Amino acid sequence: MALLDIERLTVRYGAIQAVQDAGLSVAQGEIVTLLGANGAGKSSLLNACMGLVPLAGGEVHFDGHLISAERTEAIVRRGMTLTPEGRRVFPSLTVQENLEIGAAASRDLRQKSKMQREEMYALFPRLKERFQQLAGTLSGGEQQMLAIARSLMSEPRLLLLDEPSLGLAPNIVDQIFDIIASLRRRGVTILLVEQNAELALDVADRGYVLASGRVVLSGKPAELRSAGLERVYLGAA
Amino acid sequence: MEFFLQQFLNALALGGTYALLGLGLAVVFSVLGLINFAHGELMTLTGYGIFYALLFGVPYPLALIIGVVLATGAAILMERVAFRPVRNSSGTTMLLTSFAVSTILHILFQNLISARPKAIAVPNSLTGAVAIADMQIGVIQLLSILVTAVSLLALTLFLRRSLLGIAMRAAAEDFNVARLMGVNANLVISTAFGISGVLAGIAGILWLFQRGSVDPLMGFLPVLKAFIAVVLGGLGSLSGAVIGGFILGFIEVGLRAYLPDGVLAYRDAISLTLVILVLFFWPQGIVARREAVR
Amino acid sequence: MMKVTKILSVAATMLAVAPIAAQAEDTIKIGFVGAFTGALAPYDQPTLQGVQLAVDQINKAGGIDGKFKIELITRDMRSETAQSAVMTQEVIDQQVNVLLSPCDVDPSVAAGQIAQAAQIPTIAPCASTPTLPGIVGDYMFANYTADNLQATALAYFAQKQGYKNALILLSRDTPYTEKLPLYFAKAFENKGGKIAGTVEFKMGQQDFSAEVTKIKGISPAPDVIMTAAYEPDFPAFIKQLRSAGIKTPVLGSDGIDSPTTLGLGEVAEGVVFSNAGYPSEGSSLAKFNADFKAFFKQDPSAVYTATGYDVIKVIEAAIKADGDKLDGPSIRDAIDNLENVQVATGTITYKGMNRVPLRVVALNRIVNGQKTHVEDIVPNGADVPPAE
Ligand SMILES: Nc1ncnc2c1ncn2[C@@H]1O[C@H](COP(=O)(O)OP(=O)(O)OP(=O)(O)O)[C@@H](O)[C@H]1O
Ligand SMILES: [Mg+2]
Repeated sequence: MALLDIERLTVRYGAIQAVQDAGLSVAQGEIVTLLGANGAGKSSLLNACMGLVPLAGGEVHFDGHLISAERTEAIVRRGMTLTPEGRRVFPSLTVQENLEIGAAASRDLRQKSKMQREEMYALFPRLKERFQQLAGTLSGGEQQMLAIARSLMSEPRLLLLDEPSLGLAPNIVDQIFDIIASLRRRGVTILLVEQNAELALDVADRGYVLASGRVVLSGKPAELRSAGLERVYLGAA
Repeated sequence: MEFFLQQFLNALALGGTYALLGLGLAVVFSVLGLINFAHGELMTLTGYGIFYALLFGVPYPLALIIGVVLATGAAILMERVAFRPVRNSSGTTMLLTSFAVSTILHILFQNLISARPKAIAVPNSLTGAVAIADMQIGVIQLLSILVTAVSLLALTLFLRRSLLGIAMRAAAEDFNVARLMGVNANLVISTAFGISGVLAGIAGILWLFQRGSVDPLMGFLPVLKAFIAVVLGGLGSLSGAVIGGFILGFIEVGLRAYLPDGVLAYRDAISLTLVILVLFFWPQGIVARREAVR
Repeated sequence: MMKVTKILSVAATMLAVAPIAAQAEDTIKIGFVGAFTGALAPYDQPTLQGVQLAVDQINKAGGIDGKFKIELITRDMRSETAQSAVMTQEVIDQQVNVLLSPCDVDPSVAAGQIAQAAQIPTIAPCASTPTLPGIVGDYMFANYTADNLQATALAYFAQKQGYKNALILLSRDTPYTEKLPLYFAKAFENKGGKIAGTVEFKMGQQDFSAEVTKIKGISPAPDVIMTAAYEPDFPAFIKQLRSAGIKTPVLGSDGIDSPTTLGLGEVAEGVVFSNAGYPSEGSSLAKFNADFKAFFKQDPSAVYTATGYDVIKVIEAAIKADGDKLDGPSIRDAIDNLENVQVATGTITYKGMNRVPLRVVALNRIVNGQKTHVEDIVPNGADVPPAE
């Protein structure tokens, strides 16, 4: 059984059909990428999985449980979280406070949260140097690192990453993808939404392509590439 | 100089009460985007709580605590019963709900308790004055300044040090992302209402000490002032609400002290004009402006 | 089916009976458009209780003059002036003989003007602005102690105490809080007193520190401070005044006749204020209070209960006087000529008063948190400053 199972997922905003009958699954330990042009419905799909936007149809199973009707914070407690598009760190909180909030889901003592924080600082040394700085004053790349680190504080088994490379310089993008690779080594399962198809297919085990809210292609990176990804997905580099 | 210092302290005491009131509104607005116009009725409830507690022979300090606890409980209940069902509706719906809650409470107070004011005796020890240099400061005013300072400090500590406090600040900035971190939305919102209830209770007690009675419409004016304070400081900003409250206090006392008699009648018009002027230069309010510059 | 038929037949009976009852000769209809909710409710709710008590007593005794049972029709105008007009039209459509209007000038004017056009005598039970009847017309009567009357009684008192300089504290927010102190100033000056200063406040401002600091700076220091401020302003004012170390005597008006003032403790000691009557032993007001308690199982919450009772007694006296005629013009003329009618608060005279009655003003002093009687004054009409 897959860790995440999405069946016939439909999302509507009033008259707009953002996602239609989309199906997708992610197995334990995999990195799966979800590709698609601007407005294809990728973010909508992730937000729907997390309970941030209501489903107009379909079901989402995580770890064998039906979670479509659960509240966001409950889903986080089950071990799945999302690093949203555009980073969205809490600007007037310090780096440290951002991380502390990341651990809000774990009911454990602050001691544990502290240990995890140290782990994050080991993973992202740049954050450690700036732990008292307000998150809003960090650079874009630093903010993205903080956003990922913050998500990892809840020790998710499945991390949904929405366009982590958005608006970042190429060398920073490389760093972000290094981090993704290291996360997989730590056993974190990842569903990665990306505009940068080449890079995403490089790290991914499998991929899906979304167009106008529908899944139009899926398979191994090589299959997707040979299927003429460019035809359906014009954003490829 | 003495006149000035005296008026300065006056402004500080009044501004402090406004700050507490404004903060109560802002705490809820920051997480829910709702100006809770029923906030004033929480003050009124504090008054009735104290009135009935004293009637049943409860010792004075305990009666005050009962008043605050009542306001806090009512605030949390108000959220549960009235605002949670409309939480995902438009801002207008929530605003109208808060008006409805306020009106319903007015009518309940008027018909179940009394339309006439109920007297709340204030201990004589509180009506005296303390002499500092050549100035006389009323004990109640001194108390207002002190209580405001302590409340602000306690709230600041809570927001800075406790996980729930940090979660509330996070939720105020980006509610959905806070939920993605596992922050319990209901808990945060309930806490916000609870805090607003505590603040309304404390401000209510200070207000009651001055007026010596509680009546069904007591909360109307303070909530209006609090609203001005919040808009002045910047909607959604907690520090803004505090600053806005103090500015309003200083504007009001300053005008009352220094305006010539002939134009005194236009005092409120002038003070509102000043408020509008401030908003003209800082359309988002004083604090939000600085945050936006970042 | 049975049920439906039954309901229908009951409804039919009611429909058949209603018009007959309404036209019955032995009923006088009194409409009361009052503020039973909202900002004016503190005045109109007690007034209504007094009205109800009087109606109950009269009806139990067989009606006015032993003939006319009183039918009371009440409408809540929710303290909104526009609603006052709407509700007045509604009760007029039900053919009331006399109308009672809300407890404030503006809604009373709104109600009075409609009733004036319909030639229905209207009495404002507790609006105290003396210009009210003049604004509306010859069918509009006041009942309550007028502001200028009360102010004159206070000025008599101030003069008798030997006060030379008075300071008045007023608010331009309502005619009551503004004009009453000004009437006082006029009456006081007519008696040779001086006004040492005028300080203004805003109703509901809660903080009087700026005003108190100002009063402190006035020289020569006033011998007495007079104000028509009431709750919540008066308590806040007097507390801050006393805590600033100012011991000047304070005169107040009937607005502070409430348990709140008595509960203020030390700061309110010695305050003298006027009101519509003091329930000395054996007085009509004491009897009213006892009747009230027996009827409602509670003490009257304010003197408005008694003045509400008074209005019905005035109507009763008028109908007795006009030979049991119930038409508007007859009742109007009768009220206008009433003299020394015995009511709960004492006696009341309309004759020669331009529909603003002459009645007793009682002066009270707060001693040990209790209201004590100073004296009853019926001012000389010539000393009363003209209504303006
Ligand atoms: N809150 C919303 N209200 C209304 N329409 C929305 C909302 N969010 C998204 N949409 C619409 O739904 C469609 C899908 O948007 P979505 O953000 O899911 O696309 P995306 O694939 O993430 O795009 P991008 O690559 O630009 O981030 C778009 O047409 C968008 O305009
Ligand atoms: Mg997107």
